[in-house]
Amino acid sequence: MTNSGSSAKYLLEAKSLCVSIDNKNILSSLSFSVAKGEVYALLGGNGAGKSSTLKTFLGFNLPSSGKVLIDGDEVNESLDKVRRKTAYLPENATLYPHLTARENVEYFLSLAEISKSQSEIDKAFERVSLQNDARDKQLQTFSKGMRQKTAIALAILRNAPIFLLDEPTSGLDPVAIDEFNNLVRELATSGATVLMVTHDVYGACQVANRIGLLRHGELVGQFEAKQNEKIDTELVHAAFAQRQTSEV
Amino acid sequence: MSNQTKASLSISPVLSVAKDEWRYWFRSKLAMSVLLIGVLLTLSSVVVTGINMIELAHERAAMQNSSEDTFMDQPDRHPHRMVHYGHYAFRTPAPLSMLDPGVDAYTGNSIFLEGHRQNSAMFAEQKQSTGLTKMGNLSPAFILQVLAPLMLILIGYSAITRERESQTLAFLLAQGTSMFTLLTGKGLALFSIVILIMLPVAIAGLFAIVQGESTLVVLYFLFTYTLYLLTWTLAILLCSTLLAKNSESFTALSFIWILLCIAMPRIASTSASVVVPVAGKLETDFAVLADLRKLGDGHNANDPAFNKLKQSLFDKYEVDKVEDLPINFRGAVASASEEELSKVLNRFAEKRMEEELAQTETARLFGWLSPQIAVRSLSMLTAGSSIETHHRFLRETETLRLDFVQALNKTHIEQLNYIDDINRNNGEEGWAKARVSAENWKIIEGFKFTTDSPAVRIERGFSSLIQLLFWSVMLALLLSLASKNLARRASF
Repeated sequence: MTNSGSSAKYLLEAKSLCVSIDNKNILSSLSFSVAKGEVYALLGGNGAGKSSTLKTFLGFNLPSSGKVLIDGDEVNESLDKVRRKTAYLPENATLYPHLTARENVEYFLSLAEISKSQSEIDKAFERVSLQNDARDKQLQTFSKGMRQKTAIALAILRNAPIFLLDEPTSGLDPVAIDEFNNLVRELATSGATVLMVTHDVYGACQVANRIGLLRHGELVGQFEAKQNEKIDTELVHAAFAQRQTSEV
Repeated sequence: MSNQTKASLSISPVLSVAKDEWRYWFRSKLAMSVLLIGVLLTLSSVVVTGINMIELAHERAAMQNSSEDTFMDQPDRHPHRMVHYGHYAFRTPAPLSMLDPGVDAYTGNSIFLEGHRQNSAMFAEQKQSTGLTKMGNLSPAFILQVLAPLMLILIGYSAITRERESQTLAFLLAQGTSMFTLLTGKGLALFSIVILIMLPVAIAGLFAIVQGESTLVVLYFLFTYTLYLLTWTLAILLCSTLLAKNSESFTALSFIWILLCIAMPRIASTSASVVVPVAGKLETDFAVLADLRKLGDGHNANDPAFNKLKQSLFDKYEVDKVEDLPINFRGAVASASEEELSKVLNRFAEKRMEEELAQTETARLFGWLSPQIAVRSLSMLTAGSSIETHHRFLRETETLRLDFVQALNKTHIEQLNYIDDINRNNGEEGWAKARVSAENWKIIEGFKFTTDSPAVRIERGFSSLIQLLFWSVMLALLLSLASKNLARRASF
């Protein structure tokens, strides 16, 4: 077991990671790492292994070989500990529909034994632009975007140093996507480490410091933003399209 | 990002889960309706059964006194007429039988005691059972043993499957909430339902203490039912953890409930009657009659069966005619006949009770296969309404019967002249001479049937308690394994 604690250089690491499910190889020798304050986007088509990578970081998939580390701790050896350091945002935020946005946030915070005042909760809602009148409505009346905002507010309130985002902008309107991308950048600026998986080339280029191109569970290319610049969308798009075409 | 995060010590995650489960139930009409019905049903059953049992206790005590007074108030008579006049013995119900009437409802609670025969207990179902009996014997024990698990199933079957179906389980786990926290919280919420259901029973338990029941026994009684319902809580959480869908969990739990609470008790009693066959009543009655015939007719002093007795008395008193005996030979015959007859009757009665007990003990073994059978046995044994208590009642009443009959026979032997006795049918004068003073009827000591001591009752139920503990420990272990497995398998 590697355990360098908070002194680890990389907060997220996949080392020669292989994952097989039902005798099918999902991830093959996947290696990448994400440093503190960095936004890393794993880009790939359907079935490339993006969500499986996130699930492995969350401990829901067991590596058949290789390892995944969070803040220096091997995930499957300190599951509860590493999960407490991560804020996971699934494609469809799975919160409780019978609870209001505020009740959801309060409930999850109480489970994490985190105490927040109502004004702090309202600040988080304001930060994700969740309207005032929606905060005390049950989630069953919410759109997907509003549910995502609630989940992000929760993640912010949890003060987790690591964010794992699974297709976070899927199904959101363009304004909400822009708001979300700005928020991710803001989180990274404040020191959060973000690993997002997406098939949205444009969105990935907008927010990521680095992009890894995933195909059939293998990392087939990486792109890195230059100082104060964004990654070239056309370059990534061309590589992505080429890979997709070659797959066909 | 705010840095004002601080650990909350006031509300632990387990309590948060339990509180949220209650919030879900409050917002779900089904759960609250089931809970309301459950508590009201238990409460009404406790009240109705309690009132009935208290009434019965007073009624039986009054009838016992009245029966004794009536016997002793009889005028001067021939003592053998009083043997046939007979006397009643009533069984006063144990205080806890207001919660579990046990075998009382089937075995009868009073016995007519008379010479030459052992009567069966009477007045079993008609008066004794509660008013709710017509609705299917809804005693508090029945509600706790059979209906309460069903209520818990209806409220809790989706405890974990609901989280899985809506994918909140994986989200919870991904946030660092452990399966242990989640299951403990859900279990605590379900257990609070158990406490609510048990509340009316606990109040009735307090009343039983006031009625004279041991505090230890009442606490033990409440503990066993709480343990039983905790077992069901674990079973519900286990199914909800093992299965993926609400519908699967509900179907599985319904099947388990039918198997353990409905089918298994019947399988147990049927198996017990096959393993330990008991002769039918008619068959036994014929066998008893055949043996009794060999003893001779106790009403006929000239029956050759008593020649040996006659000769021994002649030898003892050095006479050669019954008229010369210093005692009433007819009384001696009645007494000797009663003693022999009692031995025969007791032999058959003991055999029947042994068979009944063997059947009951065989059925109790099925407690390893159903916690409902374990708690049912434990409940009756603790309440003092088990077959063992009924058998003790039969034995005590038989002792009472023989004592009072033989006391009258002694009066017959010693206080009624043989010549007067055989001339009793010679008109008014004959009748008058063949009587003894009513003072002789004061032979009956007040009969009061008491419940077995707490130690005896607790000791009798020990194996059933082990069965119940086995169930709860086994389910807790299985739940622990299932939760570890689910913590890995749960996914979006």
